[in-house]
Amino acid sequence: MKRHSGTAALFDALQAPVPPRLPPSPHLESPVRVAARQLWAAVRLQPAPDAAGLQRQAGRALQYSSRVSLAAPDIVLLEVRGSLRLFGGLGSLLAQLRGHFHQVGVVSMAPTALAAVALARSGQRAALTDAQRLVSRLAPLPLTCLGWSAQSLARLAAVGVVTVGEALRLPRAGFAQRFGHTLLDDLDRLVGRRPDPRVPFVPVERFAVRFEPSYEMTGNAALLRELQPHLLALQQFLLQRQRGITALLLSLEHRQHVATRIVLRLAVPEHCAQRLSSLLAERLRQVVLPAPVRRCGLRCGPLLEAASDSAGLWQAGEQGGGASTQMPAFLENLRVRLGAESVHGLSVSPDHRPEHISRVAEPLMQALAVRRAAAVSMPWAPGRRPLWLLPVPQLLEQDASGWPLCALQRLQLLAGPERLETGWWDGADIQRDYYVAADANGARLWVYRQREGQRRWFLHGPFG
Amino acid sequence: MPQVSPDPRLEQLLQHPSLWRGRSIAPQPVVATGFAALDQALPGGGWPQRGLTEILTAHQGLGELQLWLPALAQLTSAASARWCAFVSPPFQLFAPAFASAGVRLDRLLIVRPPQPLWATEQALRSGACDLVLSWVAQASVPELRRLALATEQGLSAGVLFRPAAAGRESSPAALRLLVQAQPGGLQLRVLKSRGAAQPVINLTLPA
Repeated sequence: MKRHSGTAALFDALQAPVPPRLPPSPHLESPVRVAARQLWAAVRLQPAPDAAGLQRQAGRALQYSSRVSLAAPDIVLLEVRGSLRLFGGLGSLLAQLRGHFHQVGVVSMAPTALAAVALARSGQRAALTDAQRLVSRLAPLPLTCLGWSAQSLARLAAVGVVTVGEALRLPRAGFAQRFGHTLLDDLDRLVGRRPDPRVPFVPVERFAVRFEPSYEMTGNAALLRELQPHLLALQQFLLQRQRGITALLLSLEHRQHVATRIVLRLAVPEHCAQRLSSLLAERLRQVVLPAPVRRCGLRCGPLLEAASDSAGLWQAGEQGGGASTQMPAFLENLRVRLGAESVHGLSVSPDHRPEHISRVAEPLMQALAVRRAAAVSMPWAPGRRPLWLLPVPQLLEQDASGWPLCALQRLQLLAGPERLETGWWDGADIQRDYYVAADANGARLWVYRQREGQRRWFLHGPFG
Repeated sequence: MPQVSPDPRLEQLLQHPSLWRGRSIAPQPVVATGFAALDQALPGGGWPQRGLTEILTAHQGLGELQLWLPALAQLTSAASARWCAFVSPPFQLFAPAFASAGVRLDRLLIVRPPQPLWATEQALRSGACDLVLSWVAQASVPELRRLALATEQGLSAGVLFRPAAAGRESSPAALRLLVQAQPGGLQLRVLKSRGAAQPVINLTLPA
């Protein structure tokens, strides 16, 4: 192996004996052999994109290589050795890559991934293919391009090490001891002494389709008819991946108006075209289209693990039939039409104040609700509390002697008083004497008398 | 039922399933009401689990919901329980009273739609509800018939709480009861029932 005279000392430093604490790595190969098999292109995106932007650029990079990975926050890495032949050689591929990414970033190539990253981070549009020249090419680069922590860089700078070459020249054992094995491993990966496996980038799969119907549609029925084949395609797409979606975006573009966007949200991952179609129909019924629809776009949210759905042998309600599938579907149907807040469940919270004990709950959160109900002890016998509660207690009239009246008739007190005096800790304290009363119609009422102030009477709920 | 036919051949004929007499009804699944007097009086021995039931009251809060409390407890605690839906209830439901009566709260669903009839029909038809309790003031006969058909599709039971004035109109409901308060309990007047039923039932409610 012919060495450049300037780097001979460097190689000697690198090949210093490994200290006994460092286990000899089985992967430790000749740097040239590792590096010769691979050629990495790093695209540094400027300005640094957000996570979604990085994913998008990585998706674009997939057309040049099947091995794409990300180096957060701003670098997309491509292994291009395998693509050279397809794209007509190195020069042609590089030109195409630069042409493709010229607006967003710098493209650099090197035989190791880290070297390509280092070159791109230091802003060098280099295309280094020769593994022999790797170390000499990297030596002048500042250490900042390796993405090490500021603390490590400061400690290295304190001993006068600011470039890659200076770091490589340090004795291995001492370097590992003073700056840690992680940094030494990084240096090994940089020059190809150690393999550098990368997590492959897997593009996020979305179903998205835009289509232009043959005429401008006004009615919901026509719109749904046009959507039907695309919903079936979506169903096929989801079935092939055994996934479901919980969000679907339908955008309807008009000639002179802002596009109408309809977002469908589902309680459980769904893939059935018929069901999506009926939910969309419900949503469309509430929407007033400002103008005829020229173009439609359908786009699904993230793909989620679909619940296995085996069709039941019995219909729900029959002997042996469950309703596990119908219950969430029914809930969605109602919520799509009425809004989420119009449909709710019921739970009990541990409080004695009638206003606080009965809570609105999210339906289908069954386990939680049941556990809560079990945890709250009911000190009263069944029938001591009304089934109904007025949202706000209703002030009752009183006759001359202070007796409560309901519809100008004296109430008859059947049971009580039951004193509730609690809630002093959060400012909404109550001091009340509750009675069971009967009005002239024979309806039983739950009434209370304040224990402070004017000692007025209130109706809190009929027993029903 | 009194024995009317001493002739065994006639008796045999009467057992034939395609022969149907005015006083007999096809057996319907029922859920016990929890009140012995009511179970005795209702055909099949309980609240019907299919079809429409109408509860008519002059005022709200006489105790008409308490009539359903034991049935609610029984339906919600079954292993394959579906929703028991309350459509447009007149007040807030007070959860602890239901819980202490043995009703499983996680099987209750409260729906407050602008159009109660639509939501009632959806609930009945969906197959996701065992029982739909609905407070519908105004409903025409065709609308009620739609609800009755929906109960057959969804294998569910619908209970409509309506003002007593609605008792004068005709209705496709299988069972119609007029509920009136009386000292210590309720008096139920059967306005319509398939099969034999006594016209007036007196109930004492637990105080």
